[in-house]
Amino acid sequence: MNIILCVKQVPDVTEADIRIKKDGKDIEKEDLEMVINEWDNYAVEEAVRIKEKYGGKITVITLGDEESEDVLRRALAMGADEAIRIDEEGFEGSDPRGIALGLYHVIKDLPFDLILTGAQSADMGWAQVGVLLAGMLNIPYATLAVQIEIKDKKVIVKRELESNTFENVELPIPSLITIQSGINEPRYVSVLGIRRVRKLKIEEKFLDDLEIPPDKVGEKGSIIESMKLMPPPEGKGAEIIEGSIEEVCERLAQIIKEKGGL
Amino acid sequence: MIPERELFWHAGPKTLFYLLSLVSVSIFFYGLTRHISVWKKGLKKEKIHLSCKSIGSVIKDGIFAGRILKGDISAGIMHLLIFWGFSFLFLGTIVLAFDHYIYHFLFGKKYLFFSFSLEVAGIMLILGLFLAFIRRYVQKIGRLENKREDFIVLLWLVLITFTGFFLEGLRLSYQNPEWKKFSFFGLLFSNIFSKDTAYMIYPFFWWIHVLLSLSFISAIPFTKLFHMIASPLSIYIKDQPYFIVPVEEREDVFTYRELIQIDACTRCGRCVEICPSSGVGEPFAPRDVISLIKEKIFFGKKTEYDPKLIWYCTTCGACLEVCPIYIPPFRIIRELRAREIEDGTRVPALMAQTLERLYKYNNPWVSSKKRTEWVKGLDIIDITKEKEEGLLCYFVGCTTSYETRAQEIARSFSKILNRCGVRFGILGRKEPCCGDIARRVGEDGLFEDHTISCIELFQEYGIKEVVTSSPHCLWTMKNEYPLLKDIDISFFHYSQILERLINEGVLNFKKGLNIKVTYHDPCYLGRHNRIFDSPRNVIKAIPGIKLIEMEHNKENSLCCGGGGGRMWQEELDVDVKMSERRIMEVYDTGAEIVITCCPLCLIMLEDARKTKGLEESLKVMDLNEFVLMALE
Ligand code: SF4
Ligand code: SF4
Repeated sequence: MNIILCVKQVPDVTEADIRIKKDGKDIEKEDLEMVINEWDNYAVEEAVRIKEKYGGKITVITLGDEESEDVLRRALAMGADEAIRIDEEGFEGSDPRGIALGLYHVIKDLPFDLILTGAQSADMGWAQVGVLLAGMLNIPYATLAVQIEIKDKKVIVKRELESNTFENVELPIPSLITIQSGINEPRYVSVLGIRRVRKLKIEEKFLDDLEIPPDKVGEKGSIIESMKLMPPPEGKGAEIIEGSIEEVCERLAQIIKEKGGL
Repeated sequence: MIPERELFWHAGPKTLFYLLSLVSVSIFFYGLTRHISVWKKGLKKEKIHLSCKSIGSVIKDGIFAGRILKGDISAGIMHLLIFWGFSFLFLGTIVLAFDHYIYHFLFGKKYLFFSFSLEVAGIMLILGLFLAFIRRYVQKIGRLENKREDFIVLLWLVLITFTGFFLEGLRLSYQNPEWKKFSFFGLLFSNIFSKDTAYMIYPFFWWIHVLLSLSFISAIPFTKLFHMIASPLSIYIKDQPYFIVPVEEREDVFTYRELIQIDACTRCGRCVEICPSSGVGEPFAPRDVISLIKEKIFFGKKTEYDPKLIWYCTTCGACLEVCPIYIPPFRIIRELRAREIEDGTRVPALMAQTLERLYKYNNPWVSSKKRTEWVKGLDIIDITKEKEEGLLCYFVGCTTSYETRAQEIARSFSKILNRCGVRFGILGRKEPCCGDIARRVGEDGLFEDHTISCIELFQEYGIKEVVTSSPHCLWTMKNEYPLLKDIDISFFHYSQILERLINEGVLNFKKGLNIKVTYHDPCYLGRHNRIFDSPRNVIKAIPGIKLIEMEHNKENSLCCGGGGGRMWQEELDVDVKMSERRIMEVYDTGAEIVITCCPLCLIMLEDARKTKGLEESLKVMDLNEFVLMALE
């Protein structure tokens, strides 16, 4: 079972104070740590588990700057075998189609049985790159997988639907699956693990090598234009309680009482 | 007639006996080499050094049962009786063989003395075995776990000893020598049978005795009896220098030291009795983890243990304090954790999150690098900015930097230092994690990274003296950094600096405080770093203070439950928390304030005070806060 994994590096915003850049098109990333996209991390784990069970090779691909090699190394440490980085230059500001095109031009020449991607990215959240890529490759796909089973050259995918319902779909090989978070428990990657793959070569691809019409990628090639980023407006029902811990608690208890919670 | 004894009297055939002896000794040596070959796998490049001090320990704690007697006199007496009785009888057999094959000297008075001593040894052995039976099966001592093996071994020894005396009795009843009163114990068995019956059944019982004894010898390496060999070794190696094998060079996690220690464990259960985690009913017992590993490594059993077990230990060190043969289960558990971390698939989720945060943000608390929030409003030099050399470097530490309650330690300590005019500085935003957490949970690659960043920082700014908030940082820097890199830096804990300031007369208390307080020894300050008196001296320097000791104090202190990574593993807690057990002990002293010296203890006790509803009656304070209160 040869697997291609598409992953992405995103800023870690779990506890950060997010500030929006002056031009309103992105957030300030200087002070933020870059990490692997949460959904992609589950995808890596799932790929490694499939490999451990059925053998084969995992090739992990990302589209990003040099710093994003970190996520590739992390995937290598978890059990991927080869890594390819498509350099970001020329792709900046791409919409999901632009990104999918970049991935497509690398993947079309590779042999594979399965492609796994995260269901969506933590930063842009389009949840489209995976399906667009499947379309370009002309292979079937399933999204939001919460369980994958492989049986006689078929893949049975349990998909998450609305309000706690699921469906099972059967896909042939090759096909593409986008992974929902929580499908597994990703393994811990130790510093030793990362050190061990430090010296593995990461293949690099550049826009010029990929025969992609340059007017299809980057900001210019985008069909979608990002106009302005803004924090969600403060709703009416929201009250931000300020003050010392004691004061906050007291107010909180008071509200709960008022609303009949106690 | 001259008193002496004819070997192989009315017994044989000798050749068969020799053959069986050979078989039994061969099995023994085969078993022994199996153990040794496992030990050797861990030997790496380190050698075991000859040390008189260590030999002294073996004599004191092995031959004279020093640590076995401590805390459990009956166990000590039992062991002494069995050990001495057994050793004398064993020596006696060798002497007899020597007399028979090499040089005949056992006759006349010498023989009588010999015979008499062996009687005494035999009686000691029997008394010891009797005591063991009582302890195990009548008194049913809680910490003793009863497996089938324990019963068989005991019974075996009893049978060997009794058949020995019985044989002696039979021989006496047939020979009826005039010196028979020297064999006073065997004599008791001499009147059971008539002379002729005795003669007739003697060979039969002789063979039983021989078979029991020979099989006993060959069973030593395959049963808990092997502690005869491994335990003295375990005592011997306790003072051998530690070493840390860099992660990239190590093939497996255990060094020879741990392998011998695992092998030596007698399952006495003292560690379980003292372990704070076992004590509050968590499903963990250090002895059991060791037993499982031992069965796996030395006896090739495929026992899988629940991987969750190894995360319970707080590395408090209480077990090492009581183990009769100085086994530190927490070090062995640490190595098991290292294995799990390397594998990665079974690391508990919360632990993994904490480690990832440590890796990315250099602290286990928040995904942020804002390390110096606590400094607000205080005048403190940042060594990395002012480049002033020769300052005392205050290494604040992660918990003290980030955790709101613990920040008070840093604030009050800095205020005291400023008041006393001590020139000191901090490393500001550049201060890394010291590596304690990574080390304790087995993330050794990360520990190496942390160690290197700290040492490089100290060297870059010419730092020679470091004082830490946390006893954990102190232990790691003082004891583990030098194992990775040669450094020339002195490390202190703040309680030592406070004590020094008091002794120098810089810090003095004009006013008195009329309060009853108690002091909680943090495991890493007390047991690990052996600093018991400094904080007590500081407290006592304040006039009017009445310091009451808790039931568990100094080396017997009870862990707050925060060390060894447990602070970030709440999912392991059970109904009663370790900190709650401790705070109730504080409460029992009737003290108004409990003072402690470690950010983790401070947080844990503070929490326990709240969950136990003691907010009105009790205060938890850091030593610095307390000193500051006395000053103001
Ligand atoms: S580790 Fe030590 S104290 Fe614990 S059971 Fe083994 S020998 Fe006894
Ligand atoms: S170090 Fe403490 S918590 Fe760990 S096994 Fe020993 S006594 Fe128990």
